[in-house]
Amino acid sequence: MKQIYLLVIGLFISLAIYAQTNTSAKLTGTYLGLPFERFVERVESETPYKFYFKKEDVKDLQVNLQASNTEVRLVLDEVFLNTGLSYSIDSSNRIWVSKGQRVFIDFPNEYFKVQERKDNLSVVSDSLGGFDKNKRFIIGKLSDNPESSTAVLSGVVTSIESGNPMNGAIVLEKVNYNQVATDKNGNYQLTLPKGRHTIWVQNIGGFQEQRQIELRGDGVLNMSIEETILSLDEIVVSSGALSNINKLDMGVQSISIAEVKRLPAVMGEVDVLRGVLTMPGVNTVGEATTGFNVRGGAADQNLILYGNSTIFNPTHAFGFFSAFNADVVSGVDLFKGSIPVNYGGRLSSVLQVDPKFGRKDKIGGSGGIGILTSRLSLEGPISDKTTFIIGARTTYSDWALKLLEDEADLNDSKISFYDINANIQHELDEKNILEFTGYASKDNFRFDPDTTYSYQNLNLSLGWRHFFNDQLEGKFTVGRDGYQFGIIGQDNPLNSFDYSFDVNQWFARADFESRRNENHILKFGIHGIQYDINPGRNEPYGEESIVIEDVLQEENAREISSYIGDEYTVNDKLSLSYGARYMFYQLLGPKTINEYVEDAPITESNVIGEKTFTKGENVKTYHGPEFRTSARYILDNMSSIKIGFNTMRQNIHLLSNSSSISPTDSWKLSDTYIKPQTGGQGSVGYYRNFAKNKLEFSTEVYYRYMNNLLDYRSGAKIVLNDNIEQDVLNSKGKAYGVEFLLKKPAGQLKGSLAYTYSRSLMKTFDEPSVEKINDGEYYSSNFDQPHHLVLVANYEMSKRINTSLNLNYSTGRPITLPISKFDYAGSERVYFSDRNAYRIPDYFRIDFSVNLEGNHKVKKLAHASWSFGVYNLLGRSNPYSVYYVPEDGKLRGYQLSIFARQIPFITYNFRF
Amino acid sequence: MKKFTYLSVMILLATFSCREPFEPEIEPSDSKVLVVEGYLDTEGLPSELKLSYTRNIQSDDSFVPSFPTGDVYLESEAGDQYPLSSLGEGIYEFAYDIPEDQNYQLRIFTNDGNSYTSELLKPILTPEIIDVGFERYEEGIEVFLTTKGDENADDFLWTFEETYAFRPKLPTAYRYDPDLKTVILATEEYRTDLCYRGETSSDLILETSSRFEDQFVFRQTITQIPTGDERLSVRYSILVSQKALEQSASEFWEIMRKNTDDLGSIFSPLPSNIGGNIKNDQDPSAPVVGYVSLGTVKQKRIFIGLTEVLPWPRTDVEDYFGCIAEGDTTFIKDYESAFKSGYYVPAIPIFCDVCYDPIGFRKAERRCSDCTLRGSNVKPDFWDE
Repeated sequence: MKQIYLLVIGLFISLAIYAQTNTSAKLTGTYLGLPFERFVERVESETPYKFYFKKEDVKDLQVNLQASNTEVRLVLDEVFLNTGLSYSIDSSNRIWVSKGQRVFIDFPNEYFKVQERKDNLSVVSDSLGGFDKNKRFIIGKLSDNPESSTAVLSGVVTSIESGNPMNGAIVLEKVNYNQVATDKNGNYQLTLPKGRHTIWVQNIGGFQEQRQIELRGDGVLNMSIEETILSLDEIVVSSGALSNINKLDMGVQSISIAEVKRLPAVMGEVDVLRGVLTMPGVNTVGEATTGFNVRGGAADQNLILYGNSTIFNPTHAFGFFSAFNADVVSGVDLFKGSIPVNYGGRLSSVLQVDPKFGRKDKIGGSGGIGILTSRLSLEGPISDKTTFIIGARTTYSDWALKLLEDEADLNDSKISFYDINANIQHELDEKNILEFTGYASKDNFRFDPDTTYSYQNLNLSLGWRHFFNDQLEGKFTVGRDGYQFGIIGQDNPLNSFDYSFDVNQWFARADFESRRNENHILKFGIHGIQYDINPGRNEPYGEESIVIEDVLQEENAREISSYIGDEYTVNDKLSLSYGARYMFYQLLGPKTINEYVEDAPITESNVIGEKTFTKGENVKTYHGPEFRTSARYILDNMSSIKIGFNTMRQNIHLLSNSSSISPTDSWKLSDTYIKPQTGGQGSVGYYRNFAKNKLEFSTEVYYRYMNNLLDYRSGAKIVLNDNIEQDVLNSKGKAYGVEFLLKKPAGQLKGSLAYTYSRSLMKTFDEPSVEKINDGEYYSSNFDQPHHLVLVANYEMSKRINTSLNLNYSTGRPITLPISKFDYAGSERVYFSDRNAYRIPDYFRIDFSVNLEGNHKVKKLAHASWSFGVYNLLGRSNPYSVYYVPEDGKLRGYQLSIFARQIPFITYNFRF
Repeated sequence: MKKFTYLSVMILLATFSCREPFEPEIEPSDSKVLVVEGYLDTEGLPSELKLSYTRNIQSDDSFVPSFPTGDVYLESEAGDQYPLSSLGEGIYEFAYDIPEDQNYQLRIFTNDGNSYTSELLKPILTPEIIDVGFERYEEGIEVFLTTKGDENADDFLWTFEETYAFRPKLPTAYRYDPDLKTVILATEEYRTDLCYRGETSSDLILETSSRFEDQFVFRQTITQIPTGDERLSVRYSILVSQKALEQSASEFWEIMRKNTDDLGSIFSPLPSNIGGNIKNDQDPSAPVVGYVSLGTVKQKRIFIGLTEVLPWPRTDVEDYFGCIAEGDTTFIKDYESAFKSGYYVPAIPIFCDVCYDPIGFRKAERRCSDCTLRGSNVKPDFWDE
């Protein structure tokens, strides 16, 4: 690389002082034991030649010869004989000395004429950012030099971010591999055959970008490319990161691990899900929950995928940490608008967490040590075809929950968890790749000495990627996802219990992608899931216990979906995506269900009988189509509009009577009375880039409708209820909103500002039911938070110091408040308002963090960095929940804030 | 692999979370909701039905509640009417031995022109309480109850009243008589060194007996008293009431319990609208709070004396913080000026070597010596010693 630099720099310096001395000089003199450099000085002083070489190449070279009016070429042939050095002389009498291969320097005849005629040429400049790769630039005029079959392409490469010329960027044409590096002023020049070319430009170690050109004559193509900072920062190319405007999907948010790592963390743990929460349209109801709500949907309506594995509980320690170890994740995409046709099964969104596979060059690793948790991962090749990555995290102290307040009765709290990821990739041959991903986690915690909660995830998946031919790619995956939850209560040996539930699913899927021609990308496939759910069981714990075993019926079901979709590029401006899924769902025996009086509320008193199904017998079938459509139209170079509509179905439900995900929430499959949730979403978006793509702006408006949502009657019993249909109120929902996102993706100051106005409403269905919440009118859902603002700013003070600020505001979530009081059973009691008629105080929080990189020496044992900061910089107590308790017969209201003061954190990270 | 030197970083963090008073602005809601409370005894024991209105959540102690007035009667399916007699302040007494094999409806006619009718009420005979006992643990005692459900009585509600004897911090056998203007030994009527204090607990304890083998509810926790608590400083008594409920009633009580007790936990359930089994005849959608039940109440009282729980190191009662007797003796001539206002009482008598009557007293604040400020010096009828 240095060589090229030297050459290029030299080239242009000499160009500047170029004088026309093109006489064929000859050499006379005696050179005995002269170091090469001295030899050069003498030759240069006597002839018009100039030498260019690397000092270390000629360090030991001595010249011993006599010349009398000898051609320089012959002299040099003699000098370099058996030295491994070679040279070339260009038309400007410059001599290029290089080791090994001769430097090929072939300046076109008309090179300098082009330079002189530059002003007359049409200068094509590209500040179009994401569009450039699709646009064909016409260079030169056909009338120029019609007899020549080649033409000269020249121009300046500049940085998008700074506008400065890029030094050392490679400009490349890949058919004949003509390439040149830019000089310090960003200039380049290539001689190419006339006609169409794809020109690649790549910054050193940076992204490659391409331009389509039609070369008709000599001309200038100036290019702006993304500058990559030569830093220790991890470079992650997240899908479509460049193309706010021209990617087809709408309502898709990508976040790279590098971005997540820049966010201030809670207790120093890099949290993928917290990164997701910086996106517009994504809310959370409180701090101790990493369950999130997308566009007015419930937390269980998000499909959370690690690779192809469904993660049922994405959090540790009931929400303080996300289940994903950032070291084994390569990127995160959240689909909240147009959900690709290959995903299905949830109503609101798909969170695709992409697993990382091991590096191929050598064994390496990374890790971190924080206040509460530590993590370590190791990756590398096993053989030249196989790589692995394994990562683990664990808590090593139980004092986390001591941080929670005494008054919350958490004194005897204990908390511990670990998780392990292992991913293996094996390349069978060029056309076949095997991928294994595994994830296991376990949590244990308690809030008092008698009750222990625990849960575990286990996800295994094996995929085989096969390239049938250039056009058809297939991926076949089988796997198993499991989630188990348990509570052991030992308050009293006689009443000790062991409560548990679990969710298991086997899945197999085949996904194909076909690119028959350049205008169509066809995706199709089939996806089967076998569910096996134990909705709850309570058993005596210990020998003395007299608790009666209570086991809810197991639920078995299968779900088969097939899909086909096409992305069709109609022309430069218009692209369409359309597809459909068909979902077929069957609940299977053994099962006993109640039968109720028809058209009457489902209550215990309306039970008229029971029906029993044998093993494997079909209890209930639901099936239906889902549609996915979207279109993108590019308005002009800087802006586009997108429109989309899609429908979704969901067969698995989380039974939850609290607004946040609580660990006791169990999963339930659709059955005879609990119908699959269905819904649809229409959205329109406008995208525009400003300031040479330094700023990306987008806004989207959406409207959603949802059917067969679950709400609960007063006093509903969620846990261990075999007749849950009697406590569920079939509800419908609607949600709408508008989202704004302004993003500065690069530069010294990076960041984003997201604002969302949204509503999420529910209504008890107009069918006979035991209770109509708020008289059957629409009411705010538990996560209806109209205003939501997130600002993330990251300022790079130097290559080693990086500061981040995160600001978060949202309307308080709705609650049902006590509005009056009365005396009953010897104490003052509360009479509550309509459901969700009031709100807790608004949420506002600022976090700040600093990342300090170690020195940037290449040869180090490990690259280390410190990250420290403060969570909740203002120390504001943001209420998580509000409650009233009778104290001495009087009612008092309290608000509980989880992180009610500044929380400093510090983490030591390392890579090796 | 290389070895790394890990710097373990420990930052002392105090508690993070915090609980603060929450006083939201509530739109003044003047809607008064009728509240009906009653478990009417079907075997003739006098029992009470209470009518009241809900009041604004922010109203304080000085708020004078208004009570509904009107007529209330119970009506059987056969048409027999059993009127309840008003005792004032919204309280009505029911004292009839009524057949338990019938269904009944409670009807309320208030003077504001509204009338209310309950759903059909089915009397449920509550089984006897098998046992109420207690167990001493290191941290205190636990009072438990054992009972057994049957085919009619599956769901149970337990409530309890506590009564206990206690002594003030500086008990005295004397009192200042303002008429005689001197200090005399207090007679039984005026004694201030031993009092009784009691209250109905707001706790609602609910359990379903069919959860257990043979519907045998064994050692259900009723209440816990931490070591050192004043309640066991002399003698303690607890009266546990057991009521069998029909399922919908137990749901009502469960909601009431949840709405008050459970809302402080991290996994708070959503508050629920509380209703009951009473409907407004004129506007069936108008809210009415309360669940009226018919049946029998079974009660059991136990006593726990200090000697049964020893050691019981007394912890200070907040009311007696800062209580000490003054060091200077108040002599007879100063009795009037010292004790006339009633702020100070003669606490510790000072005797001379030969005299029978005290020559003076060390005085103490009344709050430290007069137990009648916190209870009654009249021994309750049920008290066993």
